[in-house]
Amino acid sequence: MEKTKLSFDPFNLIITGVGGQGNVMASRVLGNMLSHKGFHITIGETFGASQRGGSVMSHVRVSSASSLSPQIARGQAHMIIALEPIEAIRVLMTYGNPEVNVLCNIRPIHPVGVISGELDYPSLEDAKAYVTELSKSAWFVNATDRAMEQMGNPIFGNIILLGALAGTNLLPLDRDDFKMIIQGDMTQDKVKINLDAYDMGMEMVKG
Amino acid sequence: MTRIADDHKGTSHLLMGNEAIARGALEAGVSVAAGYPGTPSSEIISTLAKVPKEHNLYVEWSTNEKVAMEVAAAASFAGLRSMCVLKQNGVNVAADFLLHLSGSGTRGGIIIVPCDDPGALSSINEGESRHFARLLEIPLLEPGNFQEAKDMTKWAFELSEEIRNLVMVRSVTRLSHASGNVIFGELPKEAPRAFFKHDGFILDPMEGIVVSVPVSYRHGQQHEKLKKSIEIFETSPFNIYTGPDNPELLIITASVCDLYTREAVHILGLQDRVGVLKLGTTWPLPPKLMEKVMGRTDKILIIEEVIPFLEENVKILASELAPKIGIKTFFGKRDGSLPMAGELNPDLIISVLVKIFSMRYESMPSSYAEKAETYALKAAPARDLTFCPGCPHRASFWSIHNVLKMDNQEGFVCGDIGCYSLATLPTGFMSLKTMHSMGSGTGVASGFGKLDQFGMEQPILSVCGDSTFFHSVMPALVNAVHHKSNITVVVLDNSGTAMTGFQPHPGLKVDARGNEAPNIDIQAVCEAIGAKVKTSDPFDFDGTQKALFDLLEDKEGVKVLILKQICALSPEKKEKKMFEMSVNIEECLGQSCGCNRLCTRIFRCPGLVWDKDNQTARIDEAICTGCGVCANICPSGAIKKEEVA
Amino acid sequence: MQISGSNELVEQILKNDLCVACGACVGLCPYFKVYRGKVAMTFPCDLTQGRCYAYCPKTEVDYDNLSQTFYGKPYQGSALGEYRRIAASRAGDKMISGPFQNGGTVSALMTLALKTGMIDAAVLTDSDGLIPVPRLITKEEEVVQCASAKYVASPTLSCVNKGVEEGYDRIGVVGTPCQMTAVAQMKCNLLDKADFKDPIAFTVGLFCTWALDFRTFVDFLSDRLDLSTICSMDIPPPPAEVLIVKTADKDIEIPLSDIRPLVLKGCSVCPDMTAEWADVSVGAYEGKPGWNTLIIRSEKGEVMVDEAVKEGFLIVDELPALNLAHLIQGADGKKRRARENIEKAAAGNDSERNKQPAVTENWKMSSFQ
Repeated sequence: MEKTKLSFDPFNLIITGVGGQGNVMASRVLGNMLSHKGFHITIGETFGASQRGGSVMSHVRVSSASSLSPQIARGQAHMIIALEPIEAIRVLMTYGNPEVNVLCNIRPIHPVGVISGELDYPSLEDAKAYVTELSKSAWFVNATDRAMEQMGNPIFGNIILLGALAGTNLLPLDRDDFKMIIQGDMTQDKVKINLDAYDMGMEMVKG
Repeated sequence: MTRIADDHKGTSHLLMGNEAIARGALEAGVSVAAGYPGTPSSEIISTLAKVPKEHNLYVEWSTNEKVAMEVAAAASFAGLRSMCVLKQNGVNVAADFLLHLSGSGTRGGIIIVPCDDPGALSSINEGESRHFARLLEIPLLEPGNFQEAKDMTKWAFELSEEIRNLVMVRSVTRLSHASGNVIFGELPKEAPRAFFKHDGFILDPMEGIVVSVPVSYRHGQQHEKLKKSIEIFETSPFNIYTGPDNPELLIITASVCDLYTREAVHILGLQDRVGVLKLGTTWPLPPKLMEKVMGRTDKILIIEEVIPFLEENVKILASELAPKIGIKTFFGKRDGSLPMAGELNPDLIISVLVKIFSMRYESMPSSYAEKAETYALKAAPARDLTFCPGCPHRASFWSIHNVLKMDNQEGFVCGDIGCYSLATLPTGFMSLKTMHSMGSGTGVASGFGKLDQFGMEQPILSVCGDSTFFHSVMPALVNAVHHKSNITVVVLDNSGTAMTGFQPHPGLKVDARGNEAPNIDIQAVCEAIGAKVKTSDPFDFDGTQKALFDLLEDKEGVKVLILKQICALSPEKKEKKMFEMSVNIEECLGQSCGCNRLCTRIFRCPGLVWDKDNQTARIDEAICTGCGVCANICPSGAIKKEEVA
Repeated sequence: MQISGSNELVEQILKNDLCVACGACVGLCPYFKVYRGKVAMTFPCDLTQGRCYAYCPKTEVDYDNLSQTFYGKPYQGSALGEYRRIAASRAGDKMISGPFQNGGTVSALMTLALKTGMIDAAVLTDSDGLIPVPRLITKEEEVVQCASAKYVASPTLSCVNKGVEEGYDRIGVVGTPCQMTAVAQMKCNLLDKADFKDPIAFTVGLFCTWALDFRTFVDFLSDRLDLSTICSMDIPPPPAEVLIVKTADKDIEIPLSDIRPLVLKGCSVCPDMTAEWADVSVGAYEGKPGWNTLIIRSEKGEVMVDEAVKEGFLIVDELPALNLAHLIQGADGKKRRARENIEKAAAGNDSERNKQPAVTENWKMSSFQ
């Protein structure tokens, strides 16, 4: 295993979204990909009741040295992957800083308070503008809609974003590692569709 | 990903804390593992349940935690290594047996693994298992990272055999559910055989009978064992001091707080001024080690979550050692430096250190912080918890709410722990008016039902899940029937222990390891107990409400309504939509008199959203699971369902 | 006049126990439901104006507006309300016979209205044992099944809302005075809807002095007899002062003084005995079993009665002056008692339970002059 150098050590990444979006799976696949590269990985996450319609966050920390706190400290994120746009803003409030990068899925999931009419959901333009202003660079992708169109299931949005993350070149990610890791748990046709999603994500960021 | 039972000695794997504990148990040669599902503990048993059959393991999801502890104890009595896994509340359930077990002593290595939930991230209390170790007078081990989660678990079995008593290995959510790299050790090769020796000398701990009497004799023996464990703890490699020889401040900490502490010290650059004693063996404390480390400084900060357990034990030792180490100044919970409630994180520790060292620290530029907060306030509306799209509980509580309102006698529902606890919130129409421990809804209802002689006429309902029914509702139901308590118990049967990840329970035809198992029929049990039972599909509003009205009108004794519909997250349902849903915007009444957004304002399934621009409800296809229920609530029939072929 | 929404309806009427379960608010929306004779709101609705409030006969009723709409003049407050003529009547030979409480006038008129197509559906009150069951019917032969006195409040008007929902636009309604008040308000487009259409073609009001609360009456009776054995109930004319419950094997007499505490609180403030807002009103003919007292109020009512006589569905005779005097006396008495009860409640000298802060605001005293 050869170790590539990290742009920050530790590199602090947060995957955020809403319960049911495949957040936990994305963080574990990503962690395993980087672990395979020889890094020490710490992932902090919550599940259980907090998953029922609530915001779900995974803190992924990549280090050349050791296990770290499963909770990143305030203002210390280097990269935020948001499976839902307003979750990006929520996470930026606590973990953001002027140097942070954001990869953001633009498909909204309305909180129940918005559905009921008690709260307002921002326009996509506003949400994008705020994310852009609070980050060094921001990528916006329509992962959910593309997943529904191409894969027939919105759940592949998380893998599209993983592919997009690889496309940003901010972390040393290998498509072969991705393939190897998902192969252990999936049938061949599932592997194929996941690889397609990964590739689609990479293209979306490059294009 | 990683196959937990493959040998792989010496290789590094990314494991969840719970998986690391499971691996540690496997490396220790555990034979029997039992537990009851409870976040954040569940993955330990789930992981062991998936271990291939050639590793002769017995793993079960027991009916409740007390039974799980008893099942594990039997294995120990027969000379095997065994473990019981539960969340913090589970220790309370098992407590009666535990007090007798620690008194009788054990044989094969046996550990209890409670996973506490500081901050109650997925609990309805911040209960603590640590003080049970002191109460039971058994050793308490607290892993501080992922490698230790594995290594200490393995060691705990050895310690248990050394002292012939139970050992507690305590985890917390942020360790159990976090992941980190773990280097694997060897898996044992021998297959142990079970045999229970009981014909030896009556007081022989390995061949006599396994009882806690004569009490003072056995209790005395237990204390001898505790002394032995203190000796072992004095030199344990899991108690580690790092820092300068004479630090300005000594931090004593344990568990995942060690990782937070190291992060905080690192961020503030205090490595040369602060020493950290990370304890792995937190009860009983090893006095010689403590004397040596506390002697290094005058100021001591104790960092732990929720109750000041470590703090109090350190202070007792410190006062005993005062003639040798001098008087210390303590920081911790009792002086208000750290909160008594809620979980910790690096930021809370940073703020304590900043205060003690009179430092300045800015976690992000203030202009950025201001801007981020403004935008978040403006554009990141809060996300309240809600039943999942397609959840049968939403339908069940819809009927319960409507029936109780229409019945119009201020009836109410007593609840307990499960996904249905969310019915205290608008997602369950705020139906639950009491909510306590597992099974307590029916016990409390049983009590309410006897208050008629004091003039109480309100209809009384309780709800429980199918797994909870077996866990602890049955005794309450027996009580209610025997005492002719006039109550209606609604069993929300979604065919699994849904909240914790859909583990099987005695009502299902499958066990933890996927083997076929005889299922116990809830309806038959209730009828045998003597309750009047009706069953309905909660998705059928008319049938369910009719059944509920009928039961409420019957004022004699205990009635049970079983609402049976499988969880929307179950593997069976996740795969396939029943219906393709749509809203005919021409027919949608929207906010006008006659509807006023019943579906989005009140029913609030996340799969239905309110299209503000067009003033109509709309299906969010990415969220909707196609259960079809909302079509039945729409007053104008605008929500359409079409069966998926 | 201020038309409010469901929150005010709940606060002013339901919470003050003034609801008489007429059913006008039930079935308009998903929120108002009725079960065992009691109306409940199942979920809050935040609309500031609603049909529920507009239709309710117990919120403030603008009698002048109703009178202007139906009779083209301000409300006079006379004992029997506006009418064209008063007569005695009974079903004619062409009318099939039924278990009529009195003369069968109501059944005859509704049967003919369905037969001629004047109405396309009729809303009546059937019963299931003791329980009044609102029904929406479309066949003539179903009318007589509903002919019997109930004495218990029935949410009959919920079936008007159901009928509208199902697309009927010439509905005939039979109901008590409070129900006729609600129906009159349903016909008035009080919320000024652009697409408003009056769905009600013909109304027959029933004389009423009070109705019983279903739930307390059931509890009361079940302490005394097996409810499933009840065949019918009757209150014979004064001076009997009893309610007779007929069961399969015997008649049970219950003194009215035992029954009166079970009368709906909302009835005690009702000023209307003869259903002043119906096309025709029908009641008992004092001292002449088998006949009815018939008040013809609207032009439509008069046309209908004439047609019924012509077709042999109805026989009409003169009502003696003494009967008319008694009727006026009775109707005046109800108005006076209502006024007294309202004043009593307003003065706050009643028991805590009977406080009705809403009443003074919601009732026009002029109504009772």
